Amino acid sequence: MSDNDQPTVDGRMATADEGQTIEPVSVAEILRPVRVPLAIACLLRAVSAVAMIFPFLAVARIGEDLLADGPVDNDAVWGSVRFGIIALVVAMVTLLGAAAITHIADVDFQLDIRRRMAERLGRVPLGWFDARNSGQVKKSLQDDVGAMHHLVGHALIDTVAAAITPLATVIVLLAIDWRLALFTFVPVILGLYLYSTMMRGYGEKMQEYQDSLGRVNGAVVEFLAGIAVVKTFGEADEAHQRYTEETEGFADTFHDWVSGTLKLSNLTEFILSPVTSVMWVLTGSVVFVANGWIEPTEALPFLLLGAGITAPIQALGFSAQELQVGLAAAGRVGELLATPTLEVADSPRSPDGSDVRFDGVSFGYETGGRDALTDIDLELQPGTVTALVGASGSGKTTIARLVPRFWDPRAGSVSIGGVDVRDIDPVELYQRVGFVFQDVQLIRASVADNVRLGRPDASLDEVVAASRLARIHDRITELPDGYDTVVGDGAHLSGGEAQRVSIARLVLADTPILVLDEATAYADPESEAEIQEALSILAAGRTLLVIAHRLGTIVNADQICVVADGRIVDRGTHDTLIRESEQYQRLWAAHDSGVAGTVS
Amino acid sequence: MRLLRLLLEVLSVQYGRKLKTFIRIEVTTAALAGLAFVLVVPTLDAMLQRDTGRAVTWLVVTGAVVAVYAVVGYQGKALGYEVGSTVSRALHRRIGHHVVRLPLGWFDGTRQGPMGQLASKGVVDVMGVPAHLARALIVAVVTPLTVVVGMFFFDWRLALSALVMLPLLVVMAQVTGALVKRADRRLHAARGEANARIIEFSTHQPVLRAFGRSIEGDERLDAALVEQRDATRKLLFTAVPGITGFIAAVQIAFGIVLVIGTNLALGGDVSVAEFVALLVLTVRFIEPLVVAADLMGALRLAESSLGRLSELLAEPTLPEPEKPTLPTSSEVEFDGVRFGYEADRPVLDDIDFVARPGTVTALVGASGSGKTTVTRLIARFWDVDGGTVRVGGADVRDVTTEHLMSQLSLVFQDVYLFEGSIVDNIRLGRMDATDDEVIEAGRAARVDEIVERLPDGWHTQVGEGGTNLSGGERQRVSIARAILKDAPIVLLDEATAALDPANEVLVTQALRALAADKTVIVIAHRLQTVRHADQILVLGDGRITERGTHDELIDRPGGTYAAFWSRREAAQGWRLAASPS
Repeated sequence: MSDNDQPTVDGRMATADEGQTIEPVSVAEILRPVRVPLAIACLLRAVSAVAMIFPFLAVARIGEDLLADGPVDNDAVWGSVRFGIIALVVAMVTLLGAAAITHIADVDFQLDIRRRMAERLGRVPLGWFDARNSGQVKKSLQDDVGAMHHLVGHALIDTVAAAITPLATVIVLLAIDWRLALFTFVPVILGLYLYSTMMRGYGEKMQEYQDSLGRVNGAVVEFLAGIAVVKTFGEADEAHQRYTEETEGFADTFHDWVSGTLKLSNLTEFILSPVTSVMWVLTGSVVFVANGWIEPTEALPFLLLGAGITAPIQALGFSAQELQVGLAAAGRVGELLATPTLEVADSPRSPDGSDVRFDGVSFGYETGGRDALTDIDLELQPGTVTALVGASGSGKTTIARLVPRFWDPRAGSVSIGGVDVRDIDPVELYQRVGFVFQDVQLIRASVADNVRLGRPDASLDEVVAASRLARIHDRITELPDGYDTVVGDGAHLSGGEAQRVSIARLVLADTPILVLDEATAYADPESEAEIQEALSILAAGRTLLVIAHRLGTIVNADQICVVADGRIVDRGTHDTLIRESEQYQRLWAAHDSGVAGTVS
Repeated sequence: MRLLRLLLEVLSVQYGRKLKTFIRIEVTTAALAGLAFVLVVPTLDAMLQRDTGRAVTWLVVTGAVVAVYAVVGYQGKALGYEVGSTVSRALHRRIGHHVVRLPLGWFDGTRQGPMGQLASKGVVDVMGVPAHLARALIVAVVTPLTVVVGMFFFDWRLALSALVMLPLLVVMAQVTGALVKRADRRLHAARGEANARIIEFSTHQPVLRAFGRSIEGDERLDAALVEQRDATRKLLFTAVPGITGFIAAVQIAFGIVLVIGTNLALGGDVSVAEFVALLVLTVRFIEPLVVAADLMGALRLAESSLGRLSELLAEPTLPEPEKPTLPTSSEVEFDGVRFGYEADRPVLDDIDFVARPGTVTALVGASGSGKTTVTRLIARFWDVDGGTVRVGGADVRDVTTEHLMSQLSLVFQDVYLFEGSIVDNIRLGRMDATDDEVIEAGRAARVDEIVERLPDGWHTQVGEGGTNLSGGERQRVSIARAILKDAPIVLLDEATAALDPANEVLVTQALRALAADKTVIVIAHRLQTVRHADQILVLGDGRITERGTHDELIDRPGGTYAAFWSRREAAQGWRLAASPS
């Protein structure tokens, strides 16, 4: 709600910027772990496609034997029946085998890729999460990975089938009678030609359609988020105007698209349909037989095989859309996997002491964009309080976030105990720097485990002691299962209570350096006093950097920095600043009139 | 069938008729295709016996059938797409129409994601039902059926042997369906858990990372992902035997026809030409069935989307009065009001108070004491369980939503702005306001101070949800909106989060402009607001424990208000220091 908004807006621009410079991980690279099972599956599918031709040939052969002049060779006929059935079994087993392999591989692949993504996210700069909401992360890990199912499970083997089946059929038919074979292929070639004409411009149309759908989604979100406004200000019965426009627009887009291609797509479908193929081949056969060009039984393979030649191609057409969706999702997954991570030093060093130093630090959210911070020099001594004051967007939150390395500076350095934060092992860095920003972060686990996140090996006594100090022990004992109550399931904690649990966690973690957004104290005005007590205890004896909102809170600070336009313009104690700093005086003047203000 | 029933249910009558016509056309098309296949038998029979004359005659008949098939098929397809876009239109209209009638309490902040999905992807799933799914399914059922009926005309034994596997197919599909449903439920639960853990993982990243958890992998997330994998695998292994069985049974049917047919042909019981022709026909009988197996997944998807849509449309709306009354003033009155979000846990119990026009009523109390609920009941987010909420003497349930809302201005803490310019957002307060009136309201709410700093002035875009503005700035825009609306009753939830001092002053000025001469009910967080209120209501455990003005309450010994005041004053004077004081 307060000036934390600023980095979010800037951070979003930073993302767009990142997108241009990073080379995403390629789809082939993403699929690498499953390339062996996919190759085996493709092979099986190819075998199946070829095997599927033989039952038809067997039937043709049976017809030929039965219709041959003279006595029927029973053994030969039964042999063909056996052969046909065996081929059928082989075709079925390999077909199902291929599908089973890709599906089983896909299940493990999805787990693997999700783990890889989570592992990557565990190493990106914390600031990355500022610019995205958790819903987007969920979408990447769940929906995008899920959408790749078609790619892994179906697309490849379908493509193999679509290529091998017509190819094998063409070869067989050409070998039997090349003239009738060519005649049989006429509708297929015509159909394919029409199909490719139809697909021209498909990409743009598809994009238009997807965009329109995306706008519907956006309109719904806006409609729901602003429903109170819609209800209080809009016509009570009418849906939100933008919602109506976008949904009607979507129906129009869809209608225009399909009706624009209706004649062509219908013609294509008709030409490629089994009904047409059968009719066409039958006509050709009658003509060829009547002219004595072929024996009647020679027409049988054409009738059996020729009519089925288009089926896999059509199946591929049907799945083209899902394939596109899958590829797009894979592209997004690839981008996420290529997100730059926080660089970790090869030989990390341990800080000596817990003083913090900013040395000529400049920082910008966009590469090459304007500076959000310029030339910041700042020293925080152990056991002292340093306060950052200034208007919204002045950069005080950004300064504070550079200490726990949410981002790395563009120029200059931030160091702890004489060591650049970039040279400190991240685990050690976080063990030294604790931070409380505005969001309270409790995970769905027992209250004790939530406190223990600060130090996983802490005993229950230590957890209780920390909770007492954080003024939350009494409330915890009132919960149905005390410290074992699962947050969210068994208990609902108010904002202020959750805040104090997170403070208990920090007490237990006992980090020598603490970065604090004072606004946390006001997240729940009803328990403000308790939170303040807890914060006072937490702050004792540490190197403290605080983003101040209420000037009264920090009059006793050892050092106050007035931040404006990304620079520290004045610094000193309250007493010197109130005399000498014009900016500081102005902040106080505004502060006083704000406190005196009232609604009535 | 369940699918079609659901679809007809969510479409209203006018759209439903189109759907029925479409289905009739598609059934006809599929039957014509079957007929064309059946006609292959006499044609082929003639050709195999070298009777060209008879073959040509049959070819002409078949050609005629194919021609009719093409024409009817074209109409079906055109209508299918039309039904598709009609479905999209009808569903979106019904969703929009229904959602605005739901009680405001339904929108608890968790609805955006799922609803966005439902209205976009969900509707698309359903749109595909007529044009793709229904079509393919009808072909899969009607064409083989026609073929089999045709086969009976030629040889009943072969027709029967083609049919022998049919009961098995039906049973197989049923059993698999039931098993898959159960496994699907487990997967659904596992997916929900994984979603929650991923969201936790990303929002709690700083905390998790502080102790190296993310670098080694968060074990809670990992367990959820593994369970999701296991559940997917379980679903797969449940579905595979069914699908395998289905496809195998179809092929076995072909094998049976082949064996029995060969036997009959060798024994001379059936003409060889006819037998061969029937084998060709059997292939045509089988193909659509295999396609049907592939459609099951898409079918399930559409069914679950449709199910969720019909659930949404069944969500009870706020009842509108049959004989609406009009409020006669801007007085707000609670008369023995009882209310709870869950049946046995009352949040408010026996609340009585009157807020008179031109006065400020401040609500004070611990979090969870029901302050927000009081304001929500006035705006009829929910209906009371007992007692009455009156506005201008009229029970809010007897006033139309439109009229009730016209009496109220709501200023929330978490302000949502629509994508558009600042002027657009203020104008929402009264759509017919002139530009001058909009800017006047903006000035009164001190939006002019924001506008001065922005490149495009009053026409600056606020971004989705207003993210281009800070919290304090957003709040001022929303106050301007309320000032422009000029409703006689103002419901105000004061900001808890500290604004920077400059914003704080300006928001205060804005609120003063809004509240003048109105009935104001405010959830007060700032002490100055409370001190100057005409009436303070202290809430505790769902009841009003104390009431009066600041001067009356402050000296009451042992009173909750006095305690509240001194604690809050102490908090104001808090000083942060590194050495314990």
